[in-house]
Amino acid sequence: MDWSTVFSMSTLVNTVNTATIVVLAGLGCLLTDQVGIMSIGIDGMMTAGAFAAVMGSWLCGSWLMGIVFALAAGLLFGLFYAVFVVRFKSDEFIIGVAMNIFAVALTTFMLRSIPGQTGSFHPATGTVTKLPAFTLTLPGGTPVTLSLMVPLSWLLVAVCWVMMYRTPLGYWLHASGEHPESLRSVGRSPERMRYLGSLLCGLLCGLSGAYLSLGYLSTFTENMSASRGYVAVACVIFGRSNPLYVFLAALLFGFIDTAGQRMQGVVDPTLTATFPYIGTILMMVLLAARTAIRKRRA
Amino acid sequence: MKKETKNYLVSLSCAVLLALLIGAVIMLITGHNPLEGYGALFTGALGTPRGIGNTLYKAAQLCITGLATAVAAQAGIFNVGGEGQMFLGALAACWVGASLNGQSPWLVIPLCLAVAAATGAFYAWIPAVMKVKMGISEVITTILMNTIAIKFCTYMANGPLKTTERGVNQGTASLDKLFRFDKLIPGSNLTETIFYIAVLTFLVWYLMTRTTAGFEMKLTGQNPRFAKFSGIRAERLAIIGMLISGALCGLLGMFECFGLQTRFKADFSNEFYFDGMLVAMIMRYKPVGIILMSLFFGVLKIGGITMQSRTGISSELILIVQSIIIFFMAAEDGVMQRLRLRRAARGLVRSAGKDGEA
Repeated sequence: MDWSTVFSMSTLVNTVNTATIVVLAGLGCLLTDQVGIMSIGIDGMMTAGAFAAVMGSWLCGSWLMGIVFALAAGLLFGLFYAVFVVRFKSDEFIIGVAMNIFAVALTTFMLRSIPGQTGSFHPATGTVTKLPAFTLTLPGGTPVTLSLMVPLSWLLVAVCWVMMYRTPLGYWLHASGEHPESLRSVGRSPERMRYLGSLLCGLLCGLSGAYLSLGYLSTFTENMSASRGYVAVACVIFGRSNPLYVFLAALLFGFIDTAGQRMQGVVDPTLTATFPYIGTILMMVLLAARTAIRKRRA
Repeated sequence: MKKETKNYLVSLSCAVLLALLIGAVIMLITGHNPLEGYGALFTGALGTPRGIGNTLYKAAQLCITGLATAVAAQAGIFNVGGEGQMFLGALAACWVGASLNGQSPWLVIPLCLAVAAATGAFYAWIPAVMKVKMGISEVITTILMNTIAIKFCTYMANGPLKTTERGVNQGTASLDKLFRFDKLIPGSNLTETIFYIAVLTFLVWYLMTRTTAGFEMKLTGQNPRFAKFSGIRAERLAIIGMLISGALCGLLGMFECFGLQTRFKADFSNEFYFDGMLVAMIMRYKPVGIILMSLFFGVLKIGGITMQSRTGISSELILIVQSIIIFFMAAEDGVMQRLRLRRAARGLVRSAGKDGEA
């Protein structure tokens, strides 16, 4: 096979594009991880965001409204998750998994009853306005088109890093997960921080969904997040809760995904579609093995 | 009846009724008549012999997948990967079965049962070991492994193992007529597999409620620390729970393909496992509860299909109702605790008031 198609400029661009979905969701998951909540439900938040974005963009004819809708959906799901996990102290796994199933069922139901379509959304009237994109010319002379959300996600990684390590808010969030009692002793409510973490997670996952349906693709399909939310959770574990490392882990996932697509001439496309998932599991095994070796040495 | 069980049943009935009510509201919002919708649902599931057959079969399926979730969960490990285990078990059994076409069914069927169970168990063993030895969250690995298994099986069924029969455009080679499980009620989905499922259900119920291993599982599920100090090897238990869970899923995959499909098809399952998992979660992994609740959910699932075809309400509504029941039941613990605390606080205030008067 021709390896130059696998390691090329277009692969790099594709890697970045694919990774952005996971970067945004990963940042959300990271924030809930900070406040001590295991965010299994982010897959559902992404699905809800993706659906809301398409609906917003289609109904109002503007991508901005698409994002607003997606943020609202994300916020709602984030609040929902927080109410159950923080207030009712329900099992995170049960609520998370149930929420993912619920989100797929709800969006599929709404797709089938509001515009009355099955499978994916193809409006008869009106159009779905995509997120704006800009074109860069790289030093080699190749023009590259990126969605606005891509640089925005990089910015958010930086913002997240600064917030976590350089602001009091970051420390409070962290303390509410690690040492809720010490946070309480300085007069801050750990519960409030947990709510905040979960709401921010909802917003970021909403953005991720909006990018998925309005930037990466330009339609909504049933169950479109395709377990990428779980990949994001894996990236947070692999990135050991540091925004920068989570970003790199997401890039790695994006690369495996893209490289798989490039190999479709040689390997069956159904098989190459499994690569990113196998890669994610291997990533987690490698990390665990490394930790085990370090422990043995120490 | 124990007070705890009684309270639970009351909460559960409230949750189910409320969820059905929310379903009715959704029907109203989308411009349908709820009475018509639920009417179509119940007559569709229970009105005809064919409907009853389908409902029973669905209930059996939910029961096995629910018990598969419960066995693992009681042992302290959460198997979200049943779908993948089911696909691989089905594919392996169909491949072995079809390559032995023409042999005696007395030899082939037990062999296929063993192959399906072993394949499912093996695929469940991988995330179990990763969890126990390396501490990797099984929820994430199992769900990712679902996608891997389903894609792999799809590839095999449409590629290397694709049937060469004319006029068949998908799936592996068909199984010998002697190997197939026949239908019990003509026109319905109810096949002889229901007997196998009944035996499996009894075995799992017996294991979970009448054996030492089951008792140890229950202890570990309730209080892992106590279980550890009383000498229970939680890691071994988790792996055993996962192996049984995977084997059950593999077997169900085989039943489905040897019964209804007569060959392995990549679209044989419509996320069966997740439906059963929801049942298990609602019943808090209690085997008897799961068996009974499967019947109710079987009615909803099968009736949902009739509802969709007769009134045009998408059957996804049933899944929405089911997940709402889970949300209610998950919140129940917290809400009840709050109510109890508030009542206790009010009692304290009242008694304090009385003291003041005296």
